[in-house]
Amino acid sequence: MFKTGKTLAALTAGLLALSACGSGGSTSSPKELKLWHYEGPDSAMGVAWNQAIKEFEQTHPGVKVKFEEKGFEQIQKTAPMVLNSKDAPDILEYNKGNATTGLLAKQGLLTDISAEVTKRGWDKQLSPNIAETAKYDAKGVMGGDKWYGVPNYAEYLQVFYNKKLFDKYGVKVPTTFEEFTAAMDAFAKKGVTPMANGGAEYPAQQYLYQLALSKADRPWVDRFERYTGKVDFHDPAWTYAATTFADWVKKGYIAKSSVSTKAEDAGTSFISGKYPMFFSGSWWYGRFEKEIKTFDWDTFLWPGTKMTLGSSGNLWVVPKGSGNKQLAYDFIAITMKKDIQNLLANNGGVPVAADPNGVTDPKNKKLIENYQTLVSNDGLGFYPDWPAPGYYDVLVAGTQKLMNGTAAPNQVLDSFAKPYEENLSTIGH
Amino acid sequence: MSSVTVRRRTPGAYALLVSLIVLALVMLLPFVIIAVNAFKTPAEYSAHGPLSLPKGLYLQGLKDFWQRVDFGGKLVNSVIISGSVAVLAVILSVLNAYALGIGRIRGRVSIMVVLLLANTMPQEVLVYPLYFVSKKVGLYDTRISVIIIFTAIQSAFGTYLLSSVLSSFPREILEAARMDGAGRLRILWRIVVPISRPTLGVLFVLFFIWTWNEFFLPLIFLISNENQTVPVALGVLQGQRLMDATMTSSSALLGIIPAIVFFLIFQRTLTRGITVGSAN
Amino acid sequence: MTQTLSAPPRTATRKPIVRRRDGISYAVYLVPSGVLFVGIILVPFLMNIGFSLTTWDGIGKPRWIGLQNYTKLFSDGDFWASFEHNIALVIAMAIIPAAIGLVLAAALFDVIGKRFGPRTASILRACIYLPQVLPFAVAGIVWAWMLAPDNGALNETLKKIGLGSLREDWLGDPKIALYTVMGVMIWVQIGFPLIVFMAGLQRVDPSLYEAAEIDGASWWRRFWYITIPQIRPELYVVLLICTVAAIKTFDKIYILTKGGPGGATRVPAYLSWQNFFEKTQVGYGAAIATVLTLITVVLTVVFLRRQDRLERADA
Repeated sequence: MFKTGKTLAALTAGLLALSACGSGGSTSSPKELKLWHYEGPDSAMGVAWNQAIKEFEQTHPGVKVKFEEKGFEQIQKTAPMVLNSKDAPDILEYNKGNATTGLLAKQGLLTDISAEVTKRGWDKQLSPNIAETAKYDAKGVMGGDKWYGVPNYAEYLQVFYNKKLFDKYGVKVPTTFEEFTAAMDAFAKKGVTPMANGGAEYPAQQYLYQLALSKADRPWVDRFERYTGKVDFHDPAWTYAATTFADWVKKGYIAKSSVSTKAEDAGTSFISGKYPMFFSGSWWYGRFEKEIKTFDWDTFLWPGTKMTLGSSGNLWVVPKGSGNKQLAYDFIAITMKKDIQNLLANNGGVPVAADPNGVTDPKNKKLIENYQTLVSNDGLGFYPDWPAPGYYDVLVAGTQKLMNGTAAPNQVLDSFAKPYEENLSTIGH
Repeated sequence: MSSVTVRRRTPGAYALLVSLIVLALVMLLPFVIIAVNAFKTPAEYSAHGPLSLPKGLYLQGLKDFWQRVDFGGKLVNSVIISGSVAVLAVILSVLNAYALGIGRIRGRVSIMVVLLLANTMPQEVLVYPLYFVSKKVGLYDTRISVIIIFTAIQSAFGTYLLSSVLSSFPREILEAARMDGAGRLRILWRIVVPISRPTLGVLFVLFFIWTWNEFFLPLIFLISNENQTVPVALGVLQGQRLMDATMTSSSALLGIIPAIVFFLIFQRTLTRGITVGSAN
Repeated sequence: MTQTLSAPPRTATRKPIVRRRDGISYAVYLVPSGVLFVGIILVPFLMNIGFSLTTWDGIGKPRWIGLQNYTKLFSDGDFWASFEHNIALVIAMAIIPAAIGLVLAAALFDVIGKRFGPRTASILRACIYLPQVLPFAVAGIVWAWMLAPDNGALNETLKKIGLGSLREDWLGDPKIALYTVMGVMIWVQIGFPLIVFMAGLQRVDPSLYEAAEIDGASWWRRFWYITIPQIRPELYVVLLICTVAAIKTFDKIYILTKGGPGGATRVPAYLSWQNFFEKTQVGYGAAIATVLTLITVVLTVVFLRRQDRLERADA
């Protein structure tokens, strides 16, 4: 009868001994650069950064890069805690925006790298539109005066379209907004829902925000995203966006049944050839290239607008407690070099400083050209969920109500205004 | 009516069996769908949707993922953490329940309410206080910190279940043992523990599997990749805007196999109880 | 016969043998856990109450603001309105699983185990328990596939068997989404009461069932007069623990619906989480967590008191 007890005791002792060993804190020695990011190894960034690590080790003999791939959620949830401990890495990828990099900067957990940015000339490589999300003020609001990170890539939204379906239904690829709605109408009349959408996640709010952006200008975006002035959620842009979005659902341009579907569903249904169009981000590009095999596809920018959703990609940030800041800057410098930037481009990413001549694939070239068109127009309008933490959920709920018709556009806009104002009152506390 | 006739397999019994089998299959349906997607190529999944059958067995993704996150190491971590928690929490539950259920000490309801705080309060409450404490004592980013935390949390449930069960424990047996001169510890070890074996078995299994699947606190307290558990490692497949559905399926299947094996091995202890009668 | 059934023999005569002196020394057994609990549960809980009186973003020094977080919470209509959904979740995560689990446990133990062998019963139990082993992050993806409105498995099956008119947008229709979530929760939850109850049934003296069978008591009577009274302790535990879990839960729902469509499945526990980790308003999150804890503690006190009274009445 005592046998179970002894086994249990032995088991505990053994397991505890095991768990004790090998868990010592990993202090970063000068000969080791501790680097974290959360991009998959096959993604454009993953490939480019992997190469950058190799180059770094070649140019820094004796220094080893200790790279750990993290989960996105783990970094999101734990970054402030990790950076406030001795387990902080020397350099890591982190999300741009007020609620993320801005917050860490405000909390004093990130290094102000402004001097390094000017010294190494990164400010000249990055267009002002892109730099905005790398600079923060003392309250942690983007577009500030101090650099806290450096982006290697950009992202923006465009319409991905299925050429085969356009041919099959005899629809012309639109170049103006009128042609765009006419095209959607033509598909809808033939019983085909023209636009893929995911109502439970970001796609729906991106349609909505794009509609608003098409009636907006730069100061409008600055007011909304950077609190430079009062935001009126019942102004013509927002009102147009909410009513048009609801109208498009009613007309069948966007399926009502997409109210509960996720971004992943929207993407895969486009890949499977179900929808002629999907308005979404350049983050899909590599996957579409790899996985769409049964039809030709191409892209066009949202017609009839100067501004569209987009921004810099995530940032390289250097924690305050980094023991190897110079090495971290050296690494960033390598990622900004032409060859790494071109590698990023050739793997389907949107580099911030590539040489278009170094990009071979015509589709990749177009991806970068569209981006350059936007940047030269000062056309990156950021994302609608940025202004307030938790705003994503507010926008999801609002667009779902518009789709289900359970609330009028005016009511939905009211529901956007309340948490926005609430957040405004907490900024700078 | 003799007991032999009662245990015949009547049509009613067969009907019950069939309906339970149907229920079991319904419960398993999601697992089938996961298995179907586990062996597809990502392109197949994207092109034909999650409900189509795979054309072949695609294992390359799984192999790559195994190496990418050092899955073997994660399995070892998960086994160490879940195993330690299960053993320690069962021991603590027995000790507590002995005092509360058999001893019926005064204030037992209040003590139970306090212990059950581990269940009643939301887990996020623990994050900041335990972060500061673990940093102070040098246990931040160690597996031991997670073992200690979950031992406390799980043993609260164990104490409650076991002391509820033990409060209906037949007093005559305790009295008889005491007449024979058995001390309190001896009574616990030789009478109470053996008789509660099925319940202890259930606790052991539940603790192991619950700890195995814990995601949130390990995410916070296991920062280094070398300390991470299986569910935290699966997190790398869920990106900011994209996810990897086929790999998530296959790695999830892989990740639950140890837990299922564990359950199948230990579920025998759930049925092999010593009844009060036979212990007499 | 009814006499034997309603009063299990071993509870017939019982004198309290525990004296006061024993009560004190039994407390020694609580010491190891006591130390652990103070450190891991009690101190953090008290610290959390402290945080709830401040405004704090998790780093640096919290700033004292008194009861402001609480006054803000009490006037937060969305928070209190979403408690309605918790009633549905208590039904789906505690009451229905406990009821089904009880019937299943009795059926597996008393009928299947005895007539088709314990192995058959074990296999069936394992299958029904399996959803508890699967991380819900993965299960949620699969359920979304099955419940998808356009080509989900459920709607496709309904169409194939000629019930196409019953097709719904299961997670997208605000009138249905909560019921769908309830259904998925039942799927997740059933295994837990089942294995706890089945283990409890092992304690039951087989002679009770034999006596009842010989007397020709129906299955239903045996269930009602033997099974339920015998595993009453387990029944209490499952009901309380699952109810508390249902009030605290949000992660599974958020994986399925993100609280949508349009807030139709929003639950209050999410608000605490969101303030802790998304809005990094730890003070307000702590206040919400404290209120949620108080609600569940009150429930626990009421429940445990009642359970203790009944236990003493039994003894």
